[in-house]
Amino acid sequence: MVEPLFTFPGLITGRTIGFLLVILIFVLAIYYMGQAKSPYIRRVPALDAIEDAVGRSTEMGKPVVCSFGCGGFEYWTIAGLSILGYVAKLCAETDTRLIVPTGGSSDSYIVREAAVDLVRNAYTVAGKSENFSEEDMPFLSGEQYAYTPGYVGILVRERPGTTIMTGSHWSEAMNIAEMSNAVGSITITAGCYTSNMAALACASDYVMLGEEQPAAGAYLSRDPSQLASIRVQDIYKFIAIGLMILGLIAINIGSDFIKRLISS
Amino acid sequence: MTKEEGFDLFRWMATYDKRWIYVILFIVVLYPLMRPVGMPITVSELTRDYYDQINSLKEGDIVFDSWNMEFSGYMELKPGVLATHRIFIEKGVKLCIAFGHFEGVAIPDVVFSELRSVMQEYDYRELDDYIILGYILPNEAAVAALAQDFHGVVRQDWKGNPIEGTFLDQITNAGDFAMINDYTTGLATTFEVRHMVLTYGTPMVVNCIGVSIPGALANLDAGLYTGLLASTRGGAELEYLIGAPGPGLKSMDAFTFGHYMLIIFIIIGNIGHYGWARRTRYRDRTGIR
Amino acid sequence: MATFFKSRSVQLSILGLFFLIVFVPYFINIPQLEWLTTKLMIIAAVTNAFTIAIAVYSQWKRSGRFIREKRRGWAYHIYLLLLMAFMVFNGIVLGQDSTGYQWLLQAVVTPLSSVIYGILAFYMASAGARAFRARSPHAALLLIAGFVVLLYQAPLTGAFFPGFEPAADYLTKTFGMSVSRMFSISVCIGAIVLGVRMLTGKEVAFLGFGEE
Repeated sequence: MVEPLFTFPGLITGRTIGFLLVILIFVLAIYYMGQAKSPYIRRVPALDAIEDAVGRSTEMGKPVVCSFGCGGFEYWTIAGLSILGYVAKLCAETDTRLIVPTGGSSDSYIVREAAVDLVRNAYTVAGKSENFSEEDMPFLSGEQYAYTPGYVGILVRERPGTTIMTGSHWSEAMNIAEMSNAVGSITITAGCYTSNMAALACASDYVMLGEEQPAAGAYLSRDPSQLASIRVQDIYKFIAIGLMILGLIAINIGSDFIKRLISS
Repeated sequence: MTKEEGFDLFRWMATYDKRWIYVILFIVVLYPLMRPVGMPITVSELTRDYYDQINSLKEGDIVFDSWNMEFSGYMELKPGVLATHRIFIEKGVKLCIAFGHFEGVAIPDVVFSELRSVMQEYDYRELDDYIILGYILPNEAAVAALAQDFHGVVRQDWKGNPIEGTFLDQITNAGDFAMINDYTTGLATTFEVRHMVLTYGTPMVVNCIGVSIPGALANLDAGLYTGLLASTRGGAELEYLIGAPGPGLKSMDAFTFGHYMLIIFIIIGNIGHYGWARRTRYRDRTGIR
Repeated sequence: MATFFKSRSVQLSILGLFFLIVFVPYFINIPQLEWLTTKLMIIAAVTNAFTIAIAVYSQWKRSGRFIREKRRGWAYHIYLLLLMAFMVFNGIVLGQDSTGYQWLLQAVVTPLSSVIYGILAFYMASAGARAFRARSPHAALLLIAGFVVLLYQAPLTGAFFPGFEPAADYLTKTFGMSVSRMFSISVCIGAIVLGVRMLTGKEVAFLGFGEE
């Protein structure tokens, strides 16, 4: 353990900087969420691919399969739900059948209800509420390796024109992406774990890497809180880059100032 | 391609049916498993460091043995699990075993039946030397509660035997463990890092699956892990290091053949790409055959 | 009472209070709060366990509806319910070390999940063989890096060509590790900001039913 540069009375040694950084996140997030003008986010290229792919499915008369992940209400799932809402809107407007396999973990029980409401609302807003069917949102299983063959079975039986996998997918992502490729579907995925990102980049036609997914979700939803969170993350990335550069310089000149500062 | 053009080798190399890969990979991996070739193996620095960490434990040290794997993950981590537990048994280390997945309850029987001869030799017994708590790490709240107040969360083992009066009486929180030994496919490991390693400073060694290695290396470099055993190959190296050949070393031939086969297929695909796909695009663009 | 707890502001107040009880002792040493933090975590762990019971109940209701209305695949729901009942009986009544439970786990569940996991190897091989094409200079560089790491991973190469180890090590510990670190930072900050959104009431879907 490196000796901290300073301690703050009352705070546990070694956690002062962490405390200040967390407080700063809170302040920045609340500030940007309250701003009247939303932060600018560029359009992620994969969104164009989603529109083209849904259009292709409509022309071919094939369904679209879109899933929002296996996790609970976490960072990636919120982004996945935003993208699902957008895909549901596109499908409702073009009279394309949308299939949303749900499940994959015990936390997915809770998220499923939000997803059903989201898709139902999209169809209602498009004036096509009669086209919405909860049977097209089957709950496959609360276990990952039971969810996977269920999903693959849907792909093999329905032969969709497009498969969109967003949210938090784990090792089953590879199974699904390859099978989607095998049935001739355009595969658009979002890699959120370093473990499966490389494999998804190989298996998918389009892939959203890491932060592109929440950025796409924020761009589509135009929700001020989601846009604010992307802005705060960007600010912190710059802080991290700055600390890394300063740390590199400090280490090379033989100073442990930055190390001790971060350890405070 | 028209019928008149006939068979084009480059075209086939660029567009062959991927089911050929499945069949050939199956044969290439199956053959050395049935008839081992006995290829040499080297031991990496990573495995040596992991071994040094495990070897630094003394008789009577209590290790929190966290099995954060499904049975499918166990098949990949099996060499490391067996080799590490052999070391624990030989050194007389006490184990507190907990599972992060419900499939973990099927694993102890398999592991301890394979190590039965070693356990008999060193008189290693349940409740005296190791206690299995069962599936008690389903989520972060459970890990955090266990780390802070061990006996508040756990009163009995997975068969209902009370843990009072056993070696676990010495444990009040996660800081009282000599080490955390984690086998993981990515379940409760992050929670253990947050609530045990960062909060109490307990050293942690990890045996993870192949796809998790890049992330685990970052944690190792940051000092969150003190040792890392990388998947089946790391387990095989550990078996070689301790002189106890097992399933890891047996599968290294298949491992090698599978990797080389994949490289050959990639080369074939690239030859086909340059010989046909680019030539076709050039022909379509310029009209020159 | 139910109306009181359904109110969104009450839910958010409870959320904020419990957040402070767990968050503050991590940074400020308040011994009086430690026992409360521990108790809250135990309550959360136990409550989480009850979601399994809710899941079983929901599945029975849903499958019952499917069977009554004879919707597509209704026979599979009968099969599902019978298996579920059998597993629950074996696990709870007879115990998780009972013969029936262990047999189901070892003879049915584990081979099935192992197969799904094992198939990944074939899919990764076919995806790699299909995608690793040197279509551009960048792709060629990536391909060379991939070859170096693949050759290093094969134990035989390390035995006869030790020169691959430093190269593969360099690639893994610079490019590979930097990507992992970048992700860790991004995900960590994203998770904290999501927490801020939840605490300020901007993200309320996880609270479920409620009234403003």
